[in-house]
Amino acid sequence: MKQSKIPFMQKIMVFSGLLLAFNPVQAEEVTPLNVYTVNYPVKFFAESIAGQYAKVTLPMAADIDPAFWSPKADDIARLQTADMILLNGANYAKWLPKVSLPLFKLVNTSSEFREAYISLNEGVTHNHGTGGKHSHTGTAFTTWLDLSLAEKQAKSIFKALSRKQPKLNAKFVQNFIPLQEALLGLDAELSEIGKVLNGKALLGSHPVYQYMRKRYQLNLESVHWEPEEAPTEEQWGQLKELIAKHPAKWMLWEGVPAMETVSKLEELGIKSIVFTPIANLPEVGDFLSIMHKNVARLKTIIEE
Amino acid sequence: MIDSLYLAWRYVVYNRVKTITLVLCISLVSFLPFALKILLKESEHQLLSRATTTPLLVGAKGNSLDLVMNSLYFSKEKPDFISMKAIEKIMDSYLAMPIPLYTRFHAREYPIVGTTVDYFQFRQHVITEGRAFAMIGESVVGADVATRLNLTVGDSILSSPENLFDLAGVYPLKMTVTGILQKTNSVDDKAVFVDLKTTWVIQGLGHGHQDVKTLKDPADVLSSSENSVTTSAKIKQYTEINLDNLESFHFHGDSSIYPLTAIIAVPQDEKSATILRGRYLSEQKNQQIVRPKQVIEDLLGNIFQIKEFIDAVVLIVAIAMVLAIFLVFSLSFRLRQKEISTILHLGCSRSTVIQLIGAEILIITIFSGALCLSALLVLQHFQGEIVHKLFIS
Repeated sequence: MKQSKIPFMQKIMVFSGLLLAFNPVQAEEVTPLNVYTVNYPVKFFAESIAGQYAKVTLPMAADIDPAFWSPKADDIARLQTADMILLNGANYAKWLPKVSLPLFKLVNTSSEFREAYISLNEGVTHNHGTGGKHSHTGTAFTTWLDLSLAEKQAKSIFKALSRKQPKLNAKFVQNFIPLQEALLGLDAELSEIGKVLNGKALLGSHPVYQYMRKRYQLNLESVHWEPEEAPTEEQWGQLKELIAKHPAKWMLWEGVPAMETVSKLEELGIKSIVFTPIANLPEVGDFLSIMHKNVARLKTIIEE
Repeated sequence: MIDSLYLAWRYVVYNRVKTITLVLCISLVSFLPFALKILLKESEHQLLSRATTTPLLVGAKGNSLDLVMNSLYFSKEKPDFISMKAIEKIMDSYLAMPIPLYTRFHAREYPIVGTTVDYFQFRQHVITEGRAFAMIGESVVGADVATRLNLTVGDSILSSPENLFDLAGVYPLKMTVTGILQKTNSVDDKAVFVDLKTTWVIQGLGHGHQDVKTLKDPADVLSSSENSVTTSAKIKQYTEINLDNLESFHFHGDSSIYPLTAIIAVPQDEKSATILRGRYLSEQKNQQIVRPKQVIEDLLGNIFQIKEFIDAVVLIVAIAMVLAIFLVFSLSFRLRQKEISTILHLGCSRSTVIQLIGAEILIITIFSGALCLSALLVLQHFQGEIVHKLFIS
């Protein structure tokens, strides 16, 4: 798959090089686009593609889960002034239905693969009196953990930027291709790991690995734990029930888990590794470097 | 001449009933054609100005005039609804910027216009006080709404029930005013603007209520399981959206089929407009795309045909009125034969008699002219509202 893409990419790079040579766009001619995003992966893709031609902002503080951010009216007023608002899609930003944003500035980066969204059936159904019954079931939203979908999201951002600034298309192509290669490279690596794992039972500390599980054929079941919180007795009981049916030896964590939890898990014969979805700004590194570390940690399961 | 005017003045004052009747008749006949012209000019201006600046309108198939009048002037005739899928279709085409409109509800007599903040930019509206709506439950009011209801930023406005007898219907929603528009001399001055999702909350498609997992009163919960909670109808639903209960608001069902009354489509260029129109003509069976200017021009064509007919009627009435006035004067002179011969016997010339009669006609004409002019000035002052009530709402 990768081999077949390279000549095509080379052609695009040569073509974009020619475009740049014969149609140079002076940096000072173009006002940088004011772009807002709803999570870090989308911000990283936008920054990588737009480069100096966009100021990309993730509007929430670094310690907040962007999916569950509660914006204030002032935050929304700032978003309303954006040239473009890049959404993750898959019902990611839970705050979106409660705010008013300019419709035409919204870009759903995952709309192209809407059919691939994974539905969840973990919500609570309720109704009011004799009125209609309704449920609050949702959609899995960490789409970018399937790196092939992440590549599609990046492509969607590239297209949106090119539509907005057609004159900069060649620059965007030049920036997009290395990103695309990196994402597809990671996808290939994870696919390889998935093949080698060959259905080996794994655990997820939080239900965020749905797209990864599907794409890389991981035999992964999730509990609902937080890395920094010690699980309750009830949660330990649920885990024991789960591993009786699903004898996993590894648990994937969103963040670094508490030492006490790690020790207790080891007593049950379960080792912990961090595979962070990196939804918000990292303290160190960027999306690609952290994903490479995630992949490297996942490889330790194979190496054992 | 002054003497003649004095005598004529004394005469018209003495015969005040006859004078008033004549003044009213002449004023009315003069007023009608001018008034009609003023009203038609204003209606043409009002109708065309918004229609010209609104390139394309998408709505349910049916009466295109109803669609245009409701979307541009928020008239009471509601076109059939279309769904949010129509917005997605336009967005996916990249041919035009879609601005949704949902104009089903009212706050008192003022229409509530559910839209997005794009609408203000599109109409080049300026928010003089406060800011645009940012969250659901917030509103921006037109200048006239703010003045007449004495609203300022931070006040609230309540949506009106659609039907007074719908006792089981949704509760009125209390909406916070976050901004007031600069006066635009258009129907937007008399409208309440909210986010599209706020209109869906008014309709009951979205709502906020107590957390069903933490209900304490056993009477509130009819049944409960791991994945399902059935509550009684007495569960508290919020009638105002604020920071404390915003989190509890949610929408049910597939939002892509939520209703709209129309979409303003702002194409990239003329070519995009043509392609988009072509797509609707060939593909859409339940929706139509119209050029508001064309629809309004057709309407004005009909109005001007009616105007020509009215002009003809007025002309006939005016001729009849002139003949009647001529008759009134000639009968009056016949009755005043004795008075005229006394004037002649007193040694006055015939020209003095003619001067006297001329002065009387002049006084009546001046009064009629003044009355007609005053009425026209009053009409001109209220022409906007009159036209809105007569032709638009």
